[in-house]
Amino acid sequence: MKLSKGSPQPPTRCDQVQLATLLEGDDSQLEFQKAALHVERCEHCQQQLTELAGQHHEWEQISDFLRSYSDGNFVASEQSTSADVNHSGSNDAIDHSQLRAHLDSLLETPRHPEMLGRLGRYEIEGVIGSGGMGIVLRGFDTELHRPVAIKILAQHLAYSGAARQRFARESRAAAAVVHEHVVAIHDVDTDGKTPYLVMQYIAGESLQARVDRDGPLTPREVLRIGAQTAAGLHAAHSQGVIHRDIKPANILLERGVERVLVTDFGLARTVDDASLTHTGVIAGTPHYMSPEQALGQTSDFRTDLFSLGSVLYYMASGHAPFRAEKAMAVLNRICHEPHRPVWEVNSEIPDDLSDVIDRLLSKKASRRFSSADEVHQQLNRILASLQQPRSLNFRKSRRWFRSHATTLWTTLAGSLLFLALTMSLTTYLRVVSPASRLEAASDGAPAASLTGPSTQSPSMPLNSTNSPTHEERTYSIETWQLATRDDRQAWQAKLEELSRQLDTQQLPDGHRSESQFESAWERELGLINQRLETLQNSL
Amino acid sequence: MVPDTRESLILRLPDKEDLAAWDEFATIYQPLVYRLARGKGLQDADAQEVVQEVLLAVSRAVDRWKPGAEYGRFRDWLFRISRNLVINQLTRHKQHHVASGDSVVAELISGQCAPNDEDSRWFDLEMQREVFHYSAARVKKKVTDSTWQAFWLSSVERQPIPVVASTLNMSTGSIYIARSRVMAALRREAQRMLSDETSNQPSSAMQTSQLRPANLAGKKQP
Repeated sequence: MKLSKGSPQPPTRCDQVQLATLLEGDDSQLEFQKAALHVERCEHCQQQLTELAGQHHEWEQISDFLRSYSDGNFVASEQSTSADVNHSGSNDAIDHSQLRAHLDSLLETPRHPEMLGRLGRYEIEGVIGSGGMGIVLRGFDTELHRPVAIKILAQHLAYSGAARQRFARESRAAAAVVHEHVVAIHDVDTDGKTPYLVMQYIAGESLQARVDRDGPLTPREVLRIGAQTAAGLHAAHSQGVIHRDIKPANILLERGVERVLVTDFGLARTVDDASLTHTGVIAGTPHYMSPEQALGQTSDFRTDLFSLGSVLYYMASGHAPFRAEKAMAVLNRICHEPHRPVWEVNSEIPDDLSDVIDRLLSKKASRRFSSADEVHQQLNRILASLQQPRSLNFRKSRRWFRSHATTLWTTLAGSLLFLALTMSLTTYLRVVSPASRLEAASDGAPAASLTGPSTQSPSMPLNSTNSPTHEERTYSIETWQLATRDDRQAWQAKLEELSRQLDTQQLPDGHRSESQFESAWERELGLINQRLETLQNSL
Repeated sequence: MVPDTRESLILRLPDKEDLAAWDEFATIYQPLVYRLARGKGLQDADAQEVVQEVLLAVSRAVDRWKPGAEYGRFRDWLFRISRNLVINQLTRHKQHHVASGDSVVAELISGQCAPNDEDSRWFDLEMQREVFHYSAARVKKKVTDSTWQAFWLSSVERQPIPVVASTLNMSTGSIYIARSRVMAALRREAQRMLSDETSNQPSSAMQTSQLRPANLAGKKQP
């Protein structure tokens, strides 16, 4: 075929470059379209293009690879790649319709029309909430006739063997903790299709809900809730169970009696579970995490103490100690920045409590308390002391000192600095000899070199009597002798000028006693003599 | 599911590119290690544990990585040590908690462990399978649906090109172009991940795949 002028006929020659355009180029370009037209008709180029894309065995192999995933859905990897960096704070966001559908698939048909469904011997009455590990339902035990809370492992975790195992372990660990301030575990089922955990049902609200509604609590409430939480934690710790996710939402306040119960040992693992102690997995609400959790380091029971400190802070101030817009920034603050003392945020908070919180919030685990029990006792002690308040003046003065500490220190440091400066200035002026001043003034005449460390007190009334003093005369003579004949005249003039200057620069305190002057002079004279002697000896 | 380990790495990997490399690594390694472990005869739960251990061991080893010529780029280093770790882990699967030993990690990083050839080849093959699977997901998102279908039907499902052309209502030439474009893109994507850690045995894995594709093709994904 010939190339006809101006017509859109494709070229007949099979051009490698054009094939490359087809593989990687922009399909809206003219070049691409020309090549595409050609490939449409040229079988040779169809083969060429195929080979350029990949050798025969590569086509075969890659197709084989993909065929082994032949369901053709890439949901798993797509989900993982698009995962949000800051998802850690958004675990609670579960779609309601999704939740409902999920529940319908889990539960058997209810015996009573007002119930949602049935799970084993439990009639499900409603949904209490949902979290990272699963959903929590309100149920009724048809055998023992008591209300229960049922925690069901989240759908995506129910199919994972590791998560199932963790759930089973967690349940066993939590069930071992029996304490009046820990929510009791009644039953656990990890064999069925959906693993679940049956817990004591607590009518009431969470600490989170309480503070959200009422704002900061009174010091007594903070102490009471804090002490009871610490007691519950101590019970768990002594069983080797670490909570790892202490936060206001996991602290329940029973309606009426206001008893505090720690719940959701959702991430608790037994300390002796070797495969999990070294994990360094970060999970949980970032605001109440400890620095070691945030850094993914090994953590022990003291991580709960830090979180407890954050919870106390939250109760006392109405907000978490470390706040930021993004989860990562929160973690960064937890690890590297000090918190603002709680008494600065809420002046009602006793100093003792503020100190306990400070110690719990130590970045170093070793600086926190040695056990949750110690915290419990401390908080109870402060609570008792609140019943018989000490004089407020002491507290106030202590406050005053603390809040003005910076000013006080600055003033003190400033005074010290001023003192030091004054002293050094005095010394300087005492030490510097008039001769060296002469040297400076006379542009490097070798005047001072031999006179040595001769001293003249600046406060001395040098020319007060309008006649050269003894001292001045001496120096004049010395410098005179050392100066060359030619510039004697100039020297003389300079010296006179300098004397006048010294006279006018006198310090206000010009009334040194004669004896002081004499002794200083004598000492200096002795020094000069010494110096001369050494010079003579060396010669 | 995003690996939990990622959260702990965010603070330790200040470079966004490194974090992206980690994510890609975790995305590829989770199903890969799972399949390998199942291939070794492990139960589902045990295989899941192995996956966790590998990710944790590697995430711990991340602290030892330093930018500089000695270790190379983070992603290359990451894939290199992980390859060694996994091969090692699968070879001696009796040693269940290999991940917790610092010395093991150190050994892996220094590249002292010498996995036997067969295990290495098996690993590389499965690695390629996983990488191509991952690349396919990425390429699929970048091309039009008909372009993807042209490739999928004609090469993966081995339908004759004229049939595909009529199914998709496209010309024969455009089927050729579409499938070749996808293939080239797939290879480009995969090359990015495969070039570094298998460069010491560039074509061996490619060849072995022809020796044993059938018995491995049927492995289930988690």
